[in-house]
Formats: sequence, C-alpha cells, structure tokens
Amino acid sequence: MSTTETTTATETTTLQKGYVGQSVPRREDKRLVEGQGVFFDDVKRHGMGYLHFVRSPYAHARIQSVDVSAALALPGVYGTLTGDEVAILTDPFFQIAADPGGQVKDYALAVGKVRYLGEPVAAVVAETRELARDAAELVEVDYEPLEVVVDARASLEDGAPVLHEDCGGNLSYTGVWEWGDVDGAFAEADHVVSISQLHFDRFNSTPLELDGALVEWNRGTGQWAITTNNQFPGFAVIMMAPAMRVGTDKLRMITQDIGGGFGNKITSHPQLVACCLLARKLNRPVQWTEWRTDFHQSMSHGNERWFLDTEVAVQSDGTMTAFRTKAIDDAGAYLRYEPLGGVIWSQVAPGMYRWRNLRLEFTQAMTNKAPVSPNRGYSRMQHLWFTERIIDIVAQELGFDRVELRKRNYVQPEDMPYETPNGCVYDSGDYPRALDLALELIGYDTVEQRRAEAVERGKLLGVGIGSTLDSGTNNFGQSQLLNPELQFSGNNEVATVKLDIFGEIVVTLGTTPQGQGHETTAAQVVADILGCDVDLVHVRAGHDSYWNSHAGFSGTYASQFAVTGLGAVKGAADELAEQMKTLASMVFQCPIEAIELADGFARIAENHEAALPFMALGAIPNANNAGFPVDPPPMNARFVFRPQFDVPDKEKKFGNLTLTYAMQIHACVVEVDPETGVYEIVDYAAVDDCGVRINPQIVEGQVMGATAHAIGAAMFESFVYDDEGNLLTPNFYDYHVPHALDMPPLKTSSVESPSPFTPLGTKGMGEGGGGGIHCVCAALQDALRAAGGALVTDSHNPYHRVWDMLRHPERSRDTVEVVKQ
Amino acid sequence: MLLREVGYARPATVEEALSLLAGNDGARALAGGQTLLNVMKQRAASPEVLVDLGKLAELRLVGVQGMTLDIGAMVTLSALMRSSEVEVSRPILAEVAATVADVQVRNRGTLGGNICVNDPTNHFPPLLVALDATMTILSEDGERTVSVEDFFVGVFETAVREGELLTRVSVPAGGGGDGMSGVTLGAHGTYIANAAASVDDGRWRIALGCVAAVPVRATLVESRLSGVDVDEADVRAAVEGLGETLDPPSDVHASADYRRSLTETSVVRAVLQAAERASG
Amino acid sequence: MSVNEPITSAVVTVTVNGTESEHEVPVRRLLVHFLRDDLDLTGTHIGCDTGSCGACTVHLDGVAVKSCAVLAVQADGATVMTVEGLAGEELTPLQRSFHEHHGLQCGYCTPGMLMSASALLAENPSPSEDEVKVALQGNICRCTGYWNIVEAVVAVGKGEAA
Repeated sequence: MSTTETTTATETTTLQKGYVGQSVPRREDKRLVEGQGVFFDDVKRHGMGYLHFVRSPYAHARIQSVDVSAALALPGVYGTLTGDEVAILTDPFFQIAADPGGQVKDYALAVGKVRYLGEPVAAVVAETRELARDAAELVEVDYEPLEVVVDARASLEDGAPVLHEDCGGNLSYTGVWEWGDVDGAFAEADHVVSISQLHFDRFNSTPLELDGALVEWNRGTGQWAITTNNQFPGFAVIMMAPAMRVGTDKLRMITQDIGGGFGNKITSHPQLVACCLLARKLNRPVQWTEWRTDFHQSMSHGNERWFLDTEVAVQSDGTMTAFRTKAIDDAGAYLRYEPLGGVIWSQVAPGMYRWRNLRLEFTQAMTNKAPVSPNRGYSRMQHLWFTERIIDIVAQELGFDRVELRKRNYVQPEDMPYETPNGCVYDSGDYPRALDLALELIGYDTVEQRRAEAVERGKLLGVGIGSTLDSGTNNFGQSQLLNPELQFSGNNEVATVKLDIFGEIVVTLGTTPQGQGHETTAAQVVADILGCDVDLVHVRAGHDSYWNSHAGFSGTYASQFAVTGLGAVKGAADELAEQMKTLASMVFQCPIEAIELADGFARIAENHEAALPFMALGAIPNANNAGFPVDPPPMNARFVFRPQFDVPDKEKKFGNLTLTYAMQIHACVVEVDPETGVYEIVDYAAVDDCGVRINPQIVEGQVMGATAHAIGAAMFESFVYDDEGNLLTPNFYDYHVPHALDMPPLKTSSVESPSPFTPLGTKGMGEGGGGGIHCVCAALQDALRAAGGALVTDSHNPYHRVWDMLRHPERSRDTVEVVKQ
Repeated sequence: MLLREVGYARPATVEEALSLLAGNDGARALAGGQTLLNVMKQRAASPEVLVDLGKLAELRLVGVQGMTLDIGAMVTLSALMRSSEVEVSRPILAEVAATVADVQVRNRGTLGGNICVNDPTNHFPPLLVALDATMTILSEDGERTVSVEDFFVGVFETAVREGELLTRVSVPAGGGGDGMSGVTLGAHGTYIANAAASVDDGRWRIALGCVAAVPVRATLVESRLSGVDVDEADVRAAVEGLGETLDPPSDVHASADYRRSLTETSVVRAVLQAAERASG
Repeated sequence: MSVNEPITSAVVTVTVNGTESEHEVPVRRLLVHFLRDDLDLTGTHIGCDTGSCGACTVHLDGVAVKSCAVLAVQADGATVMTVEGLAGEELTPLQRSFHEHHGLQCGYCTPGMLMSASALLAENPSPSEDEVKVALQGNICRCTGYWNIVEAVVAVGKGEAA
C-alpha cells in the first residue's frame, strides 16, 4: 500500500513537468540482473597477487616480534608487509580529534600493539587466494597479552587498561553542549523525570559485499590506481595521501558498482594503504578481498552509546521544556572517522520537538573493540532514539497519551523553517500529519480491540511510534566544534554534463552510489532540463578520479545526493543548456532568448522549422568549427554545487549544521509471547517526507531498506563481546540479520514538503534515522504494560532481554523516577 | 572462506568408501557438506581426506520394511520433505526437515550429515531420540546397529568410529503422535532451545536439544505423563521442575536460566502437539 | 566418474551455462571461486563465509545450491547454471520483474536471488507470497527489506511482468 500527499506548496523547482517526480525504472538494473555488474572483486589483472591479512587473536597485546620467514619460504608467496615496515614507510593517519584523541597513532597495520581482536598485524601476498591464507598462517607473531577493557564506562575509570598511552587514558573527546536556560527550565518545571541509564547498542548494517580493492602501482608515474568500493573516496585520499607522503593525485580512486555501503565503507583507508605499499614493494597488482568474519571483527561498527543520569523537565500540560544527560560514546580501538560522532548528533539536538533548553555532556571513550565508523543514521540515530525514549518513558510515568504528547511537542508546520536552540534550521515538514498517516496505516483506532483479541490468544500486544529526522547535506564546519584547528567547512559535489560529437549527452558524477539509483535520477533531471528523451542521457557508472568530476567531499554518504549530487547535475545541465542555446542562436543569428530546448532539438520557439538536432550542436565545437567568428561554446559544463553555510560559532556551539531535514515516522504493532519473550511484528507502517521526490519508487526503496535495518537492529543484530574482547557474533551464523520470513507486512506512505533551501526542492534521505528501532522498543514497552510495566531502556531487545523484562520489570522500573511530581 | 589443502576421493560403491575411510588417516566422509565445508572454510576442521559419498545411490533410498521406515544416510532434507513414504509413515520428519535453514541447504544437506555432525542445536538429534531411531553403521568388519541413545556421544561426536560409515536411520513406521517445538534465532534459524515428543499408546519419549552435548531424555516428564490422557494443565504440571534438572550452556543467545525456561515451554508445546496428533 | 585414490587436484568437466569445458582445479577450491576466478563468471557473488547469505546461489544439475558450500571437484560431470545463463537475447520475465518492481538496489544479492527464485518458479510457476519467502529464506538482502523482491517474484507467477 502506498499513498502520497503534498503539503506546503513552496515550489522552488523551475523544471518543466517531465521525468522528475516519476518512478522511471532504474537503468542500473539491466547489468545487475544479468550478472554483468562490475564490483571490485570482479576486476582482474595479469600477474596479480592476492593479499591476506594476519589478524590479532587478542583484543589487547604487545607485539613482541613478527617473523614472516616461514611464510616467505612457501612457494607461490610473493611477499609480506609488517607493522615495522609500515611505521618506516608511512606517517600515522591524520587525526580529526584535538587532544587527547589527537594523540592516537593509527597505521595501516598494528605497530607495537594490537588493540582489538582481528586487527591486521601483517599482510601476505601470494599467487592464489588459498595460498595467501596458508602463508598468513605461517607468520609467527609473539604477543604479550594485556588487560582488556570492553565497556566504555569502565574504560574511563582510573586504573583501566589504556589503549593509546600517548593519549594518557582512553578519553578521545569530551565537551559540554548546552543551549537555552536549562537550570531555569528545571526550576520552573511542574515535573522532573529522571532516567538513570539508557543504552544504544553496537551493530552495523553489514553490507552484503565486503570491503576490498585491486591496487595497481605504476612505477613510471608513481601513481596507484585503486579499484575499490570505498564510498567516500574524497575522505579516503585525504587520509591516505599524507600518510603515504604523496599528493592526492597519486591516488586514482576507481569504482563502478558497490554492493551496499550504509556508511560502513567509509573507513577502509588503512587496508587500502597496506595494499598500496605491497603493490609498490612487489611491483605487481595486489588484490584484497575481505571476508565476512574479518569485517565483523574489524570494520565499521556503529557507535554504541550510553545516556546516563538523564533528567527531563515537563510542564503539567505535557509541554517538554528541557532535558539534560551525559552521553558516553564507545569509539572502539581507533578513531577512524571519530570523534565526529561527537558533533553529528547535534544536527538533531532536540529531535523533532520544541525543546529549547538542552544540556548534553558528550564523552567519547576508546575500548578494545573494533573501530566504529558511520552507519546508516550515523550518530543522529542514537540521539533520536534517546529523544524518543524520553517521550515514551515520560508519557508512561506521568500518564500522558503518547500521541498527544508528541503532537504537543513536535515542531509544528507553521514554525517552519524552524531554528533549533543550537542554530540548526529545520527546513520544512508537517510532523503531526505524518504521524496521523502512520497511525491510520496501522489501524491505531482499533488497537485496544486487537489487544483484547491477542490476550485471548495468550499474547501481549503493543503499539509503538518512532519519529525521526534524516538530516542531510552536512556542513563540515561542524567538525570545528570538536577541533577548532580543523580546516574543513561547508560541502560540495561535482557533476559534468557534456554534449558529445554525435549528440550524446554524457553525465559524469562525483558520487559512489551503492544502490541509490544515481544513474537514473541524474538522467531524469538532465532530460527535463535539456528537453530530451531520458534515454538520450548517458550517465557514467561509478566514480573515477581521472574523470575530473569530483571534489573534496565527493562520495555517497550522509543523505545528500538529492541535494548536492543532483544540485551539481542541475547546475551543469543548466550551464550546458545555456551553451546549447547560445550555439543555436549563433547558428540562427537570433537572440538567445528566442531559443528553446525541446523534443531533442534546439529550436526557435516561434518557428519549429528552425531546429538543430543535438547531433548538430555536438558536432560543431567538437569537429566542425571552422568559420565561426567567435569560439562556439564547448558543450561541456562542470559544475560544483556548494550549499550556503557559515562556519558555526565555536564558543556557543551554534550554527546550521545541515541543509535539509527529511523526516520519517514509523509505527508498528508487536505481539509478545509472555512465556518465552519471543515477539513478532505483526503490522508496520513507515511514512516519509523528503520534500520533492525525484523518483518515488527509489525513495520508497530507501524507506524499505532503512526499515529493514532498523528491524534487524531492534530484534537480532548486535556485536556482543565477552570480557576478553572476543566478538561472540563474528559472522552471519551468530549475527542474525533478517531474512525474507522474518519481515513483517509493510505499509508505506509519504508527505511531500519541498525544501525551500535546495535547487530542486529535494531533501537528502535514505538513512531513516533508525525510526524503526524506536517503534519496536516503544511497541514492546506498550505490550509489557500489562505484564509488570517494564520500561525499555535498550535499543536492542532480543528475546532473552524481553524475557528478562517480563520476569523482572522492577529492574528497569527502578532506573526511572519522577523526581518532582 | 579458503580451505586448507585436502585430499579427495569419490567412491562408486559403499565398499570403496569403507576402504577409503579405513585406509586413510584423517579421512572423513563428505555427505552434503553443508556443515563440514563451512567448518573447513573457517579452518576450524581440516580433515586430511574427504571421502565424497555423493555417488552412493544406495544411501539415498527411503523405504518401509514392515513396521520400520528406513532412510538412507545420504537422503537430503529436500528429499525427506518430498518422500511419500515419510509422509505416510512418519510425517514429522518431513515437517522438521522443512524448517532446517533454507532451500539451498536442504537441497544438499542430508539426514546422515545432520546427525553425524551432532551440533547440539541441530534439529534431528533430539527428534530421532524421541522417535526411538536405530542407526545402522557399516565398516569393513561388517554392519552393526546402534540405538539412538548410544549414537550421540558428544558435541560433533557420534558412535560412528574411524573407518565406519553411517548408512541408514530407521524409525518405527506409524507411531501415535509426534511433536517438535522450540525457539529459533529468526525464522528457520538456529535453535536456541527445543524439545521433541512422541507418544504411542500412552508411552512417551521426550528429548531435549540445545541443553547438553547430546540430546537429553526428559524421563521424569515421560513417566509423569505415562498413560495419562493429557490436557494442558497435566502437561504443565508434569514439566514443572524440569528446568532445574538441566545444566544448559549460557551463550550470546540465551542464558542458562532462559534456556531452562524455554526448554520447559518447548516440552509443553511439543507434548501438546504430539498428544493432539495422537488423538486426531 | 569415481575417484578411487585420494587426490589433491583434479581435472573436472563441467557444463556451465550450456558450454562444456575441462579444467584442472585444486580439490580445495570452492565451486564459487572456480566460477568467479577460473571461469570469469563474476555474476555469482560472495557475501559471507558461513554458507548463510546465498549470494553465490547457482543451479547444480537443476537444483539451487550455495556454490560456496560445494567443492568445484564435486561438480565434475555436472551441469551448472549461473546468473549469466538466465537471459538470452532478452531478459527473462523474472529479471524484468525485478527491474519493474524495484527488487534490487545495490544488485549484489540479486544474482543469488534470481537463481533461488528461478528454481522456485521452475517447480511452482505461480507461487504464493509465503512460498516465495520460503524459497528466498536462504538469500540475504541488506538493501530492500525483501518486500519488493517478494512482490517481483509473485508478479511473475501472476503473469504480470511485461
């Protein structure tokens, strides 16, 4: 089921009615359904060697020695690389953090110490994949095991084992974020609710394709060609080039198809450097494929976060005036993209609510676990879950209706654009309307009747809501709120649109899509602007830095293509249209204003007989340019889209951190078996508002994907460590991800509130803000009201946790108190 | 993902298979490979030689001899699901086969492989205990039969010794009523706890998976239920206290206590299912 | 053909997508690596190392199997079909239906999904939604949440694919 309605009619797009807004079937699909996609592991080169990493079996240990002689002696082994070599050949990666986190020394391979289980210690390259692994087993590493710390709270205590001695402890970043008059709001509050501990669990979205690369070293030019699936090549080269002591142009980043990313493929730069060093050392192409267990043990976990000593100020009418809390974030063993999570959450500091007084003490700790990296909904998901938990816990404890409490406190449509207490600007949206739609889809008005029916079947039924924002198009200036020395701000993306010799329109993007359909949506936008059939527009698949269609922030991450990517496409297509009209006006010797682009021609609007086909326009500058008194326009436009941002105020931690705020409301109904804690989602609805939808089918697909990730995270997916730092869910055998039979029925709907700030009225979307995680938590809490009234204080609720809540509701109830009645 | 070097043979007859198993140190029978090859990918097991049973058609037979249903060790779970003999004589086997993993695994995975692996979370070990199965084991010295009770020895260990081959699983055809219940990690996923129950003429056999290295008979519950025309209250009363007698493992999916509780519930549900079928 | 003495490498004869060929392979090579690395049929993918994800699903003698849980040497004398063998000049109705119903995003699980779904349709031309889910239970997709994939397969059975 799918419905759409348009709310505010802020028409910012100037496009004629055409392909934009239609579910044009994706042009990427044909090659993919035929098995003709080109993923990094599909690319082969003559004489290439396969790389296998030797990984640490300890979570924390000193490396006494590494002996590769037995591995090198094995026939078919081409060579090895150790941490000692890496320490000589490279500098530590640049750190985003100021001190103390800035003192972390992070290399392509472990140097001196290992700090998490699975950390690459050495690498072997051999003739076959199997042989490389055989040889890796022959590398002898002598470890001196050290004490391990896996709990972020414990890692900050005195006497905890220290991961990075240079940091003087395990703290990577701490800061107080406070806006409004928090103390005043609490003094005037009618009620204060305190929640001693909430926990957002560690998981990630586990893209089906793992990381990897084929790296070729060109001895003549000193350049590496890196065919990889890194989803943020702009960031990767900024990390890699200085460490390798070369310019960024020495690193040619190439990608065609990527098998899912979800942020998890942003931080593969250490492994890519190891591949580069070996390709140079061995003077042969080096191929690295990561396997599932490697990935689970060592790559890209999502940020685990604790919220301690939360207090919420509430007026007797339900108006929420303030909250304060202490967040402790677990970065794992290295700061690969961190501590950016320490600021990203503040894009959505008050969630979807009109909280004006907030205080959040953010502390990030390092532990002997895999390093974290962005994961769909990065850092906002944790925070939005927290704000939603507040709403439902306060509602239950003070006796408010959850729907009414939300509607009372939501930022209202008439408030838009709405400036949050920390200077972010929510561009548009109608949250109450979207909530109504979601509740309608799950039949909210019949819930009590269904609850009674469920009781007769021995089941506990509950309904839950998760309302979230999908903030998109980062202002990278927010990084300066963590480290004032950083020289990053704003954002950009690049597109090139040209008209080739036979009239082909060729579009080159800077992005690295992983299934978001960029080739399709870019073609829709260009076809509308140039007035031609969408099939005439060829959008190159993938990314190649040789194409000169990229900039420092190029990539596909953080919900922004519809704004920055398509903004660049629109800009370039507008420029090309201007060039085409100019050329036509030169040919017809008429004013440019008389020319229109339509039906695949540049023609005089008043006289369709005077028409130049695109082929003629393309041929003139390219191959038939004699006799022109002035240079014909080049039929080639490169456009850098730059959103308007200021650098935020570092003192007040104030400023606009993201350009757009898409929104999703999720609602679901669960049934719990009170005897076992086993539960099932029996009804589910997701309502999305991402402004103008270029391609509704693709948007809906993103909503579905975000929903599936959320359901997985809520019910099944968790990276669980034991006290020795062993990962107990190291692959799909124990880390269960939802399969087809695990999925509930889904209903989707949408609202369209165009963004007033973007060229096409679009908003970045796709992350979903973890809305589904919260709606499952809330539905469980609702179901358990009739069985002891446990409060859900964890984002991840496998069956055993639900069973515990049924047996011991007091354990969670005791963590919540109404301090002021 | 990448296996260690391994030897391979593909015998054409059972005799050849036995000779290969007896004549090569570290030889291991390769049935469907749906567990063994995956364990080898992790390099958690590295047999010297794999003796591929894939061509041994005689191990793929299903037949009813008198009051016994004989199932060849190499019968795949998909074949079990489709067998008319199974459907007529002991449908629970097909029903349970249909919940093991997924289509692709069932297309390769065999009944013999499932029980010879004896992973405590596997479906068939407790079920076959409840069904009072008999295993036929062959070696160059001849054939022997082992009762299901004696078959499961430890985690990944069975009564099949080096040089021997499990050829056949036999269960009584007919029976009164059978049931199996449990909690899995996701639909058709790995069992966290389970119980299988079978009743014939008022005599019960109940076996528990996931609580020990081998399936555990719930003998006290069996005797409490013996001869009783059960209703839910009786069953719950009979199961009372069962959990305390068990010493199940704690792991990432369930604490020992949770497993005790799930096991009790699984027994109740399996018994009620079996009882209903026995009376229907 | 039987192998009476243990060997560590073998010459295998396989018919893949209608073409028969002979290759020498180490015994330890998995069928999926044989297809991808030796035959260059890179449409068959790898998403896990535990036989859980189904991205490597192919038809072995007409039956859907995970090619990561079969040795290449076990395919000796067999017929294999991979995703590359599905379409002729035109896409099959199943492939078209995935396209029309947005049944794929990144496309990495898609070959395995198509092989599982085509095996189902060969046996059961008009499957119900539940039958499709059962047939696809061995294939993990991390992009779509399965809804559109299930819809795409059901639609083929209803003759809705263009």
